[in-house]
Amino acid sequence: MTDDIALQNRVSQFLFHEARLLDERRWEEWSALFLDDGDYWAPATPGQPDPFDHVSLIYEDQLLRKVRIARFSSPVAFSLQPFPRTVHIVSNVIVDRHDAKSGEISAASRFLMVEYRRDAQRFHAGAYAHDLVDEDGVMRIRRKKVDLVNCDGAHESASIYF
Amino acid sequence: MPVLFDNVRKKIDAGALVEADRVHRSVYTDPAIFDLEMERIWGKAWIFVGHESQVADPGAYYSTMIGRQPVLMTRAANGEICVLFNRCAHKGAALVGDRCGKVKEFRCGYHGWRFDLDGRLIGIPLEAGYDGTRFDRRGAEANIARVPGVATYRGFVFARLSGGGPGLADWLGGVASSIDNMVDRAPDGALEVAGGVLRYAHDSNWKFFVENLNDMMHPMVAHQSSSLTGRMVAKRELAPDAPTPSAIEIIAPFTESYSFFDDMGLHCFDNGHSYSGGKTSIHAKYSDIPDYNARMEAVYGAERFREIMSVNRHNTVIYPSVTIKGAIQTMRVVRPVAVDRTIIESWTFRLKGAPDELLRRSILYCNLINSSANLVGPDDQEAYYRQQMGLTTQGNDWVPMHRDFGRDEQIDAGHLYAKGSSDLAFRNQWRAWKDYVCARETQ
Repeated sequence: MTDDIALQNRVSQFLFHEARLLDERRWEEWSALFLDDGDYWAPATPGQPDPFDHVSLIYEDQLLRKVRIARFSSPVAFSLQPFPRTVHIVSNVIVDRHDAKSGEISAASRFLMVEYRRDAQRFHAGAYAHDLVDEDGVMRIRRKKVDLVNCDGAHESASIYF
Repeated sequence: MPVLFDNVRKKIDAGALVEADRVHRSVYTDPAIFDLEMERIWGKAWIFVGHESQVADPGAYYSTMIGRQPVLMTRAANGEICVLFNRCAHKGAALVGDRCGKVKEFRCGYHGWRFDLDGRLIGIPLEAGYDGTRFDRRGAEANIARVPGVATYRGFVFARLSGGGPGLADWLGGVASSIDNMVDRAPDGALEVAGGVLRYAHDSNWKFFVENLNDMMHPMVAHQSSSLTGRMVAKRELAPDAPTPSAIEIIAPFTESYSFFDDMGLHCFDNGHSYSGGKTSIHAKYSDIPDYNARMEAVYGAERFREIMSVNRHNTVIYPSVTIKGAIQTMRVVRPVAVDRTIIESWTFRLKGAPDELLRRSILYCNLINSSANLVGPDDQEAYYRQQMGLTTQGNDWVPMHRDFGRDEQIDAGHLYAKGSSDLAFRNQWRAWKDYVCARETQ
């Protein structure tokens, strides 16, 4: 854990900014926060070691992110009519690791995502683990991992990023 | 989500709700019909319980449901697979609260009654208290009750809540060949459940899912937003000579043409079973995994290997409880919860003796197609939900399934064939539904 208050603040602001981009449906800007080889991963079981030898709720590289984001504006996306609205609340931000030389940062946080669609309001909650790279003052995401508290439960459809 | 059902209750004449080429909307919406189904279909048919690899060693148990009945699949000390009701013989507490595990014996957490892995009572605290009473320590009621029928087909364990009817292999009929083909694809000739499970909750009746699997008029419409978008984005983003990523190989065929799905064909059998695809399917054009091909040829010889790989089925429905995809080694298990609530579990298999890439491809397939947060499944789920909502409306009580009615081809006894776009698979499921639901009324 770092005691660098300025860094803690920068990381927190970055995570809040990322959450806002999702809520404001600024998908391209959100995806651009990732490194070109960065990935987004929501495991389907607690403690899942990797996204390859076990199923995941979502595991997406840049290409699949672009497919999902393009689908958001498809006029024939049946399950996005009406389109869900979300609020992501990010909290308990801890900078676990910072390598000043490589710029690598590991940040842990907690989130609550409220999703509203067609008269139903749902809650998704869990932990975020962000692997970030700080290059010349610009932070990018190498991996965003979303550990839902109920990741191995029975879920209804969830199209929007947690 | 609102609960959707008809408010007007009336005496049910289930037989009158199902005709050869159409069904009354209430079969999907009426909670009383759901109760009948639980008793007469899920209470009488062979229901898929699990795969034997889920209880590989003595003491392993796997907890699941047969319809509304909580059951345990266990492996006894002598290697036998047992299916027990998950209920202590004493005051009825469920013996097991988690999904799977391993024990030396079952011990009820309430009063400490102990049972062997096959359900037989081992001991009761202060057992002498029952001496001279009507309770028979050696009688059947002292043991965990066993589900009456249990049978295995090439590692797939099925159980039946009531005793009568055909044996499992006879009941499977022609769809047993879909299980055969998946198992034959393993160089070591066996499957193993691996890679975890995805559990997808649907606010809709179980039959919408089971019908949709061999509904080949929907993919090019319902999955346009994912499949066609996937094709477009891949074309835009990738160099023209770049190899197609596996994810795009998986998503793209969902928007193949009507004629492609027509040509896949549809095979239907007694008891509601069916499969689509044969020589070709949406899985036929996946890239080769050279190491796998070499191992298969070494085991089976070139001719038999080609024969196994030439079977390329799309979906196989083993009505009502499980659907499999041999060509990509996945399985979906149907768990009806209420008239408008269904949970679908997606599992993947490791082909024993095959390189890890095959399991990884099955996992990628499930992530992309069967996860609740994937790109393809939500459009199916939305379709089912809207059917559930739409069929509560008045004014049009019947759901048609007339397409190509009367134009089926009889291959042999109990085996019908039609082109992929035919409604035959629906009619075939409803024929079985009527046989199950009405059998008791005529007895």
